[in-house]
Amino acid sequence: MILDLHSHSVASDDGRAKVENYCQWISKRALPLDGFVLTEHRQFDDANDYRALEDEFGLLILKASEVETEYGHVLLFGVNEDLCAAFDFADIRNPLSRVLEEAKRCGAVAVPCHPGRPKVGMCAHWETKGAVEGVEIVETLNGGSREGENEQADDYAERYGWRKIGGSDSHIVSHIGRFATRFEDEIRDIDGLVRALGGDRFEAIIPIARD
Amino acid sequence: MTAAELLAEYGDHVFDEIDLDIEPDSLVGFATACGETQPRFTDPSDGDFQGVPSYLTRIHGTRSLPEGFPVEMHRCFDGGKSIECHLPVRAGDKVTGRSEIHDIFEKSGRSGTMLFIVHRMNFYNQQGDHLATVDWRLIQREMD
Repeated sequence: MILDLHSHSVASDDGRAKVENYCQWISKRALPLDGFVLTEHRQFDDANDYRALEDEFGLLILKASEVETEYGHVLLFGVNEDLCAAFDFADIRNPLSRVLEEAKRCGAVAVPCHPGRPKVGMCAHWETKGAVEGVEIVETLNGGSREGENEQADDYAERYGWRKIGGSDSHIVSHIGRFATRFEDEIRDIDGLVRALGGDRFEAIIPIARD
Repeated sequence: MTAAELLAEYGDHVFDEIDLDIEPDSLVGFATACGETQPRFTDPSDGDFQGVPSYLTRIHGTRSLPEGFPVEMHRCFDGGKSIECHLPVRAGDKVTGRSEIHDIFEKSGRSGTMLFIVHRMNFYNQQGDHLATVDWRLIQREMD
């Protein structure tokens, strides 16, 4: 099963894609995606319900978050009320250690995203501020990264034995699916995704050829 | 001050108000500049003559920010505008535009931390009908 684990819709302040348009693009282009996860910036989008789109397009559409820490950005899968109450999703200076701990405590999964990116990626801060306990998975294929950034993320993952995911980080319709994550097992909902990420039966992939 | 503190102090109250008369030549000129060709936007004799949806984005108040708002303009750049149209603006309308700070938040990006200041201008016609809401983002970057 192939899911794009990192995407943004108009619910994010810098997103330009409507979720329906993502679905239409995937369908029209016959992209090899079984679904995608909306990781909206600094919030959990509790308001929108995409189940009708799931049914119409035969895609799995899950909701997650991208929060900001002093070590860069982090994806949160399995956001629930407890996690929303644990720290301020809108704060751009959350301690990474706290985000990792609270995610684990609340049954969610925290994944540093685009870790090779300057200033908002974990690797640069790892060098200057030191290692942080609790990192288990990182995003090694990010569709918005520049040359060398995904490579640095992969290098760190190899070095520290972290598991790897991929996602497009799309903010516009045409970028969905640039990178993704392949799961060996079927995923039907966010709980299933969280369970899958707790294991090791997944890998970051490039599902479609890039221009 | 933090973004939340700034918003608490300066947000959600009108700090500027302007009045203007909408002239047909202004509507036609803007439509033409936009490359518009539909007669309802370019021909004052059209029965449905009105301004193009983005017309009110060109209107500015007498000030961008409330008096005393702490900003360093040399660190700022324009983050673009958005408009939500409610009713058409028509020739002869007497429009009132009211400015407020709608939102202030921080985010981090490749270039570092940025403070987003969302200036909102609401426009009303002479009947008090709400014509449009225009949001303009001013972005202040952190110093390197």
